[in-house]
Amino acid sequence: MTSSITYDDKSVRRFMIASIFWGIVGMLVGVIIATQLSSWRMNGEFWGLVEKLTGGAFKADGISFLTFGRLRPLHTNAVIFAFVGNMMFAGVYYSTQRLCKCRMASDFLSALHFWGWQLIIVAAAVTLPLGFTRGKEYAELIWPINVAVVLIWVVFSVNFLWTLAKRNEPSLYVALWFYISTIVTVAMLYIVNHLSLPTSFTHSYPIFGGLQDGLVQWWYGHNAVAFFLTTPILGIMYYFLPKAANRPVYSYRLSIVHFWSLVFIYIWAGPHHLLNTDLPRWLQMLGMLFSLMLWAPSWGGMLNGLLTLRGAWDKLRTDPVIKFFAAGVTFYGMATFEGPLLSIRAVNALSHYTDWTIGHVHSGALGWNGFMAAGMFYWLAPRLWKTQLWSKALANMHFWVGMVGILLYVVALWCAGIMQGLMLNEVAPGGTTLKYEFLETLESIQVFYILRSVGGTLYLLGFIFCAFNIFMTARSGAAHDETVEVVLLEKKQKDGMRWGEALFNDPLAHIFAAIAFVILWFFLPPHADKACLLIATLLGVKAVRAFKANKERWTNWHERLIENYLPFTVLVFVAVAIGGAVQIIPTLIVKREKNIEGRLQEIYSPLELAGRDIYVTEGCYNCHSQMIRTLVPEVMRYGRSGIADDYSHLGESLFDHPYQWGSKRTGPDIAREGGTLAAGAKYMRVGKRGNDWHFNHFLNPRQTSPGSNMPAYPWLFEKETDVKSLPGKIAAQVSLGVPWPALNKHEITDMVETQAQEIAKSLVDAKVYLPSKPDLQGDALRNHLAKSEVVALIAYLQKLGAYKEVQRKLPPNSLDPDSHRKVTSN
Amino acid sequence: MNQEPKRGHFAKEKGEVILREHEYDGIQEYDQKLPNWWLFTFYGAVVWFVVYWVLYYHTSTFKSAHELVTQEIVAVQKAKAAELEKTLASLDDATLVHHWATKPEVVAAGEAVFLTNCTACHGADLSATMTAGAVKVPLPGLPLNDHQWKFGGKPMDLFKLINAGSPPESTGHNGAKMQAWGQTLSPKQIAEVVAYLIAKVPEDFKDIPPAN
Repeated sequence: MTSSITYDDKSVRRFMIASIFWGIVGMLVGVIIATQLSSWRMNGEFWGLVEKLTGGAFKADGISFLTFGRLRPLHTNAVIFAFVGNMMFAGVYYSTQRLCKCRMASDFLSALHFWGWQLIIVAAAVTLPLGFTRGKEYAELIWPINVAVVLIWVVFSVNFLWTLAKRNEPSLYVALWFYISTIVTVAMLYIVNHLSLPTSFTHSYPIFGGLQDGLVQWWYGHNAVAFFLTTPILGIMYYFLPKAANRPVYSYRLSIVHFWSLVFIYIWAGPHHLLNTDLPRWLQMLGMLFSLMLWAPSWGGMLNGLLTLRGAWDKLRTDPVIKFFAAGVTFYGMATFEGPLLSIRAVNALSHYTDWTIGHVHSGALGWNGFMAAGMFYWLAPRLWKTQLWSKALANMHFWVGMVGILLYVVALWCAGIMQGLMLNEVAPGGTTLKYEFLETLESIQVFYILRSVGGTLYLLGFIFCAFNIFMTARSGAAHDETVEVVLLEKKQKDGMRWGEALFNDPLAHIFAAIAFVILWFFLPPHADKACLLIATLLGVKAVRAFKANKERWTNWHERLIENYLPFTVLVFVAVAIGGAVQIIPTLIVKREKNIEGRLQEIYSPLELAGRDIYVTEGCYNCHSQMIRTLVPEVMRYGRSGIADDYSHLGESLFDHPYQWGSKRTGPDIAREGGTLAAGAKYMRVGKRGNDWHFNHFLNPRQTSPGSNMPAYPWLFEKETDVKSLPGKIAAQVSLGVPWPALNKHEITDMVETQAQEIAKSLVDAKVYLPSKPDLQGDALRNHLAKSEVVALIAYLQKLGAYKEVQRKLPPNSLDPDSHRKVTSN
Repeated sequence: MNQEPKRGHFAKEKGEVILREHEYDGIQEYDQKLPNWWLFTFYGAVVWFVVYWVLYYHTSTFKSAHELVTQEIVAVQKAKAAELEKTLASLDDATLVHHWATKPEVVAAGEAVFLTNCTACHGADLSATMTAGAVKVPLPGLPLNDHQWKFGGKPMDLFKLINAGSPPESTGHNGAKMQAWGQTLSPKQIAEVVAYLIAKVPEDFKDIPPAN
C-alpha cells in the first residue's frame, strides 16, 4: 500500500534561519570578546565614546554586562546551543523524515520544540550579560532555564522517537544512530551536570563540590563537545555528504565499528581536562588513555566522509557544498588528532590553561561545525525554497574568506599558546627562579591576539555572505514542502525483535563480560587486578574466535538490531553510561573524607561567601584558575616559599560549590592569593597582597599591573553586597554537606558587618581614593565601602587557599584504586 | 531489491567491492574492508593502554607526580638556599654601594625588575603615591624616597627585607605586608634592585665607606 506524504520542511526552514541568525550573533560576540583581550577598553570604556555620546552624563571605565567575564559565556552558549543547536535540529528534521519516509510525528511538538528553544536562547542572551550564572563552563544558565532546556529536549526526543516508531523504512540508517546517541547522551549529561539546589529564582548551588564537581563538569563539558558538536554533525555528514556527492558511503562496516567505539570511548575522556592536577592518578590515566584510543574511532568518521568523495572529487571545483563538506571533514580529522595529542599528560602540561586549547576548540567549531553547517545550508536552501542557489560565486567567496579566517585564527593561537606555555615554564639562568613574569608572557602574545581577532572577523564576514546568499535564494523561490509517494510499512516489518533476542546473545555477552573484567582490573587490589586483566584478554580472544566461527550470526544480530529502534536506543544508553559511572560514582561514594590529601579547606565566612558569588557572577573563572598543578614551574610560580608540596591539594577546594579550578589563564592563577587572619582582626584575613592593592586593582588593573588586559570593575564600588540572601544560601550549603557552624540570621548579618567594617577601615586607613565619590571621607567612606561589593570580593580573595592541616590515615579502598597500589619501589 | 547499482560506476569497474543491497532515501553504502593502518592505530592505542597502565601501576618504575614535583622543588629550594648563601657571602653594604650601584648596566637591570614588580605599591618615582586627577593618592607600599627606612637603612637590610618580605612580627603598613620576593626573584635580581634604590637615593647611603 502506498501513500502520499508531505514532509514538514517548514520546521527545517525555521531552524535553519534561526541557526544563521544566532550564528551571526554568537560569532559577533566572539569577535568582540577577542578584541577585549587586546584592549581592556573594549569592555565598555570604548576610548571614552560612551562618555562623549552621553555628554559626560555616563562615565564608564567599563560596562558590567559587556565585560569579558560575562560575554564569554554568552559567546560559547550562543555558538554551541543556538548556532549549532538550531543547525543540528534543521539537519535532523530534514534527514530523519526522509530516512524514515514519514512526516515528523507531531507538528505541535515540532513547533513547541522550535519556539521553546528560541525562547531559551533569548532568556540566555538576557540573563548571562546580567551576571546570572551557575559558574560552570557551558553550563552557566540558571536553573529555571535548565528546567526549560530539559523540557524542550524531552519534547524533541519524544517527537524524534515517535517518528522512528512511525517510520516506513524497516532499517535505521547510520545517521539515525548518531542522532539517537545525541538525544540519549545529551539528556544524561545535561541533567546530571545541572543538578542544583536553588537559593532563589535566579541562583543555585550545584549539588557537587570540589573534585566531584570538577569531574562531573568535565564529564559533561567534554561530552557536550562529543554529543552536541560531534555526533549530530556526523549524522548530518552521513546523510548530506553522500547526497551532495551522489556517491555511496565508503564503508558500512566502518560505520558500525566507529559508531560503537566512538560513543563508548568518548565518555571516558573527560578527566583529560584535569590532567596534572591533584586529581587521583587512576582518573588521569583513564582520561589520557581513553583519549588516545579515541583517535581511531574519530578518524573512522573522517575516513567514511572523505572516502565517500572518491569518484566525486572533481565536484570540489564546481560545487561549493562539496568544498565545505570536504574542508569540514578534514578539520574534523585535524581537531580529533589534536585532541588526543593534547590529552597526553606531558603535552597537556604545556598546553593547558593556554590559548592552544582555545585554538583547538575553534578548529573544531569553525572548521568542522561551521563549515558543515554552511555546506548543509547551501545544499538545503535551493530544495527548501525550490529554486537555485542565488550565487555560487558568493558561496565560493564565503568558503575562501572563511578558510583564511580559520587558518589565521588557529595558527595565531597555536603560536600564542605554545609560546606562552614555553615562556611560563622557562627558568632563569641559575635554575632557581622563573625567567618571565606572567604579564611579560601576556604581552608577548598580544600580536597573536590581534591576528586571531582578524581571523575571527574574516570568518564572521564569510558567514554574513552566507546569510545574504541564503536570504536571496529564499527570496528567489517560494517555500516548498516536498511530497513523495511511499510504500507504507506494516507493523510486523519493523521493531519485531524481542528484548531477549536484542540484549541476551553471543556478541553482547562477550563484550559485556570483557568490559566488566577490564573495569575490575582498574579497581581490584593487587594480583586480583592482574587476574582480571588476564581474564579480560582471554575473553577478547574468545570473542574474536566466536565472531570468526559465527560471522553470519553476529552480523545478522546487528542487522536485526538496527531494525528495532528501542533496543538500539537502550544499548546506546548502556554504552554511554558505563564510562561516566565508572569514573564518577566511586568518587561520590568515597565522598569527602578521602579527597583531602592532608589539607582541609577552611569554611568561608558569610561575607567571603557573598564575595565568592560575586566572583562567579563576574565570570572571573573565565580568566583565572584556582589550581596549582603538580608541575615544577607551577609550584615555583604560584606556590609559597619553603613549602615543597605547595600544589593545590584536593582538600583545599573540597567545599566549593561550584568548583572554580578554571580552564584558561588569561590572568595568573590565584589559588594562593589569600592568607591568615590579620593581626587583631576578628574575621579579616590578609594574603599575598594588601586590601588596598586589590582596591586599586579593581579600580584600574593597569595601575597595579602595567600591561594587564583585565577590565576595570567600577560598579563593584557602587553596588551593595547582597546580604539578605546569605542565610538562605548558607542553609543550602549546609544541606549540601558543607560544615558551616550553626548560624542564625542575626549572627550572619553581624559577621558580615564586622568583617566588612574591618576591611573598609583598613582601606580608609590606607587612604584609598574612590574617583566616583571624591567627597566621601572618613566614616562616610568607610560605611559606603563596607556595604559595597568590592569589599566582599576582597574578603573572598584574601581567603583563597586558606586551609588547615589534617592528618587522617584511611585504609586502602577499592573505590580508590590508587590507595592500594604502590607506584614507587622505595 | 535492486541488485544493479543505480550509481557508482567506479565501484562496478573495480568489481570486488560489495555494494549493500539496501538503500536509504537513495543513499547507498559500500562495505569496504577497514583500512589496515586505521586498525593498527586503534589496536595500538588499546595495547598502549594496557602497557602504560601495567608499567605505571605494576612495575614500580615510575614516580607519582606528587613525589616528582616535591623532590624537584626540594632540589630547587636547596639550590636557591645555596645561591643565597653564596650571594650573602660575597655581598656586603660596601660592595653594593661602591660596586653594584656604580655600574649603569646593573642599575638598569635593577630598574627593569623594579618597574615590573614594585611600582604597584611603591610607585615608579618611589614616592608610593599616584595621581588620580588632581589628587595624590597613596599606594599600598611605603615611600622609598622619604629617607626613612622602617626596617633598617643599610643596603644589606634592604636586601634581606626584599628577599624575605615584611618580618613576621610586623603588622604591615595599614595591614598590607610585602611578600617574600625571594620566591620569584633570584638573589642577583634582588641585589640589582637594591643597587637601583641606592642609585636613586644616593644621599641615604653616602656614609657607607668603601671596603678596604
